[in-house]
Amino acid sequence: MDIKYVPTICPYCSCGCGIYLVIKDGRIIGQEPWKEHPVNEGANCPKGKNAYAYIYSEDRLKMPLVRKNGVFKESSWEEALNLVSSKLKEAAPEKFGLIASCRNSNEDAYVIQKFARVVMGTNNVEYCGRLCHSSAVAGLVPTMGSGVMQTSQLEIELADCIFLAGVNLKETFPMISRRVLRAKDRGAKVIYTDPRNTATARYLADIHLQLKSGTDAALINAMMSIILAEGLENKEFIATRTAGLDELRNFLSKIDLKQAEELTGVPIEKIREAAITYARAERGCILYNQGICQHTVGGDNVKLHADLALLCGHAGKPGSGVNSMRGQINGEGSGDMGCLCVFYPGFKRVSEEAAKFFEDAWGVSNLPTKPGMTYIDQLYNCKFLYMIGGDPMMVVPDVNNVKKVLQNMNFIVVQDIFLTEIARLAHVVLPAATWVEREGTHTFVDRRVQKINKFIDTPGETKPDWLIVSQLAERMGHKDKFSFSSAGEIFEEIRSCIPQYKGITYERLEKTVGGIHWPCPSEEHPGTPTMFLEKFGTPDGLGHFQPVEYKPPAEMPDEEYPYFLTTGRSIFHYHTGHMTRRTPKLMNEVPRGFVEVNPKDAIKAGVKDRDIVTLETRRGSIEAEARVTDNVQPGLLFIPVHFADSCANVLTNSALDPSCKCAETKVCAVRLEVKR
Amino acid sequence: MKGDMYLAWSSDSEILNRSENGGIVTSLLKFVLDTKRVDAVLAVKARGDDRYDGGPVLITDPSELIETAGSLHCSSPNIARFLKEYLGGAFDMKLAVVGKPCDIRGTIELVKREQVNLDNLFLIGLNCSGTLSPVVAKRTIIEEFGVDPLNIIHEDIEDGNLIIMLKDGTEKTKDLKALEEKGYGRRENCRRCEIKIPTMADIACGKWGTSNKKATFVEICSDKGAELFEEAIKAGYIAVEHADDKAIKERKEKEQEAIESALKWEKTDFAPLKNMAIEEKFDYWWGQFSQCIKCYGCRDACPICYCKDCILEADRGVVMPGEVPPNAMFPMIRIAHVMDSCLNCGQCQDACPAGIPLTRLIFMLNKELYGIFKYQPGVDVASRPPLRSITDEELTIPGVELVF
Repeated sequence: MDIKYVPTICPYCSCGCGIYLVIKDGRIIGQEPWKEHPVNEGANCPKGKNAYAYIYSEDRLKMPLVRKNGVFKESSWEEALNLVSSKLKEAAPEKFGLIASCRNSNEDAYVIQKFARVVMGTNNVEYCGRLCHSSAVAGLVPTMGSGVMQTSQLEIELADCIFLAGVNLKETFPMISRRVLRAKDRGAKVIYTDPRNTATARYLADIHLQLKSGTDAALINAMMSIILAEGLENKEFIATRTAGLDELRNFLSKIDLKQAEELTGVPIEKIREAAITYARAERGCILYNQGICQHTVGGDNVKLHADLALLCGHAGKPGSGVNSMRGQINGEGSGDMGCLCVFYPGFKRVSEEAAKFFEDAWGVSNLPTKPGMTYIDQLYNCKFLYMIGGDPMMVVPDVNNVKKVLQNMNFIVVQDIFLTEIARLAHVVLPAATWVEREGTHTFVDRRVQKINKFIDTPGETKPDWLIVSQLAERMGHKDKFSFSSAGEIFEEIRSCIPQYKGITYERLEKTVGGIHWPCPSEEHPGTPTMFLEKFGTPDGLGHFQPVEYKPPAEMPDEEYPYFLTTGRSIFHYHTGHMTRRTPKLMNEVPRGFVEVNPKDAIKAGVKDRDIVTLETRRGSIEAEARVTDNVQPGLLFIPVHFADSCANVLTNSALDPSCKCAETKVCAVRLEVKR
Repeated sequence: MKGDMYLAWSSDSEILNRSENGGIVTSLLKFVLDTKRVDAVLAVKARGDDRYDGGPVLITDPSELIETAGSLHCSSPNIARFLKEYLGGAFDMKLAVVGKPCDIRGTIELVKREQVNLDNLFLIGLNCSGTLSPVVAKRTIIEEFGVDPLNIIHEDIEDGNLIIMLKDGTEKTKDLKALEEKGYGRRENCRRCEIKIPTMADIACGKWGTSNKKATFVEICSDKGAELFEEAIKAGYIAVEHADDKAIKERKEKEQEAIESALKWEKTDFAPLKNMAIEEKFDYWWGQFSQCIKCYGCRDACPICYCKDCILEADRGVVMPGEVPPNAMFPMIRIAHVMDSCLNCGQCQDACPAGIPLTRLIFMLNKELYGIFKYQPGVDVASRPPLRSITDEELTIPGVELVF
């Protein structure tokens, strides 16, 4: 009997927790705490404790599928790739879209974007980061110079005030929640903005600002106005490290606190308490995620939080900053690798200059110099779609409409591990290897690059994503640029053209438990846990205040659709649910979609706990099980995003933030009825 | 025979060189594998050259045993769980198991629960002064010793000190108590552990009583152990001399000293909890349990939990599914199910993402039960856990009936 413990990293959220897999005769039979890992020290959350069940799900894709006369037939790789190759050769660059995922490895993501640019000649390459964190770039690049997490998650323990901006930390980042608990043990105060009374509100927050959905701007402007009025701004920091306070001060002088109270629904005294607590802290640490991002004003919301941090000097030291909490294993990395229509690898903005740089690096010519289309724009404008690991039929707002658009595509190829909702609409489906079936690196929330090794054989005919894409490139006449024989070779190319990764090697990663934080400019460099210690990433190195006016959400409740609807996550599930819905223990916890309804609204609508209700918006309707609870205020309904049968995004609004094309999936107007 | 004590050395120079003391553990393992007395050996090995990451290994090739020689203080693998969960409780194979006192005791508790077959095991126990969590160990070495953790080739706990040895041969020493008062040092359960010498194993091995000679102090703890040890001597794997009174006294004194320190720590850990007013206790513990995120880490890490179909599972209808924190039944049932047999091994607390002081609570309750039942878990295979057994005397009480 061959039985061994092997260390790896959890496949779920972006904390990057270590786990030991127990492998017996080539099959994973269990998992155990890996106590040496600095992120989680041997503890895991419910998903992390059930890390591998999905890979053994019986409905794993194991063979390529080609649609023939309307039905999928198993095919050989030869047939499937030849078909995809011949179809994609028909596609004009501007009619082709390629969408990667936050679940690809860095090596996968790098090869994917290279395929779009080199083989297809387009910058139409995106990943799902567009739908949750593009606002980070829109908000933080002008204010601080970079959209990444600014402190290491370990350093959060050092903060004495932690501001959770719309992030239900206990459920979405349980291991970072532990850092916050430790900070609290040392006396830190926790401020939390969320329209819902979540577990985070009840058991982690000291000050819960239960604002109305979409009113963050009114709240933060009021906080800043109070801080200035009290003279609590950090004058030295402002003088030495920022620019533009005067405009902000002028703008804020017009803020009416009474109006802020009305807009947000939060008593002004509570806003004041939060403002003073944050301003007086030694180290204030803002953690935010989709709660403030998935709005038509997401980019603005991020700017506001950056303004607040700059005002109080809470940036550029360990345990501080305005920290984007990316929710998926490679949420950071797939963007770093350039799966964004406006960035070549390493966040080199698409331009003549960037194209030239990569023409030299890759030995090619005619790379595209104009930005491509964003995720949602690709769906609506392209005729040929290559989807690698994402599912717009779950994550893009107004799913009914998305379906119509997809059904009108000339050709859709989906590469995934399961027959996802979009895969059902595809012409060709390519089966991919996952997680410990292949080797590769991921970049976790705090720019922490860690390596995951291959421990088990790929099932059936599945192959790593990078290999499938490379083999397709080869068939399309670009063999010499995609002749990678291993993930390690790809990583060497990544190091050679992404300066932030230059000093990171596979060898170093093998030896460094917990990985290395980029930027890491040389092999001797230890990595960079904290950003902006000396200066910000802006051209002049200063933090720039950016006044932002409150704007209401695109759709507000009215007589016809009287409730606010907001969406979010459960600790027991992961995003589109394709992995966790195939994990029996997690399904036992939360087996189906539900909607949280306030008891007062339940009485009004005649809804009893556990009734099946119909939710309807201007875009569509779904059914879900009612949970009557005071987690939500009267007038607000909440649904999780994980369930295909109660798909939240059938309901959500496709209005976009003009600054980054992130959709407003956090607010829309909805009607509630008991199912008849 | 049982009760005999020896100073012993390996006859194999490679083992002797590699070992910190007399190399007896490795030699005994080699003997049982070479002579096919067992099918495999369950021991602990560092991952590569990483001293902060020791995990269980199942070895069938005697030449690989040398890699398990020496001790690791900065990891705390869960040996009893490995045996139960992944090796089928040794019902289908004969094994030599090496473990710290808590590992051996966990194994014995599992024998009582019919999850492990003692007949197929040789239990070789290691004296233990405690382990450090790898993360705290590194922090201690960086922040208190000012040394790069990768520069350490050996660490030890001796005479109340934490000693580290660097690659260049330098030794550095710090007072352990002082370190621990600052939050460094050993895991809290280890600090208050009173069972330092695993006499519940077949053979107990350690360095106390060797006066720093290159030898292992061996106590024979069972007839099975006596037979094995004598055969290993006969076969020329080890050489021995009887431990003299001085050696025995030295060992006893060191053990006593460690126990006294443990009792002090126990008081430090438990007194604040015990001294709370009743409302305060409720608030404190409810505050702790409200941080639970229902990962089941504590249950899964507990070496003596074994139900295949646990009543706490979401589909069992006792604890409401999908709720975080779970209702009070979750911690209450868990505690009630293990408190009479808690080993203070610390595995549950290590695994808790919410940082709930679980072992502190459960072991504190165990100590209270000890006051009532005088039951010491994991020590005697014949004594039964008091909350899950019924005595003949109890059965004779009128009105007491067993219903199956």
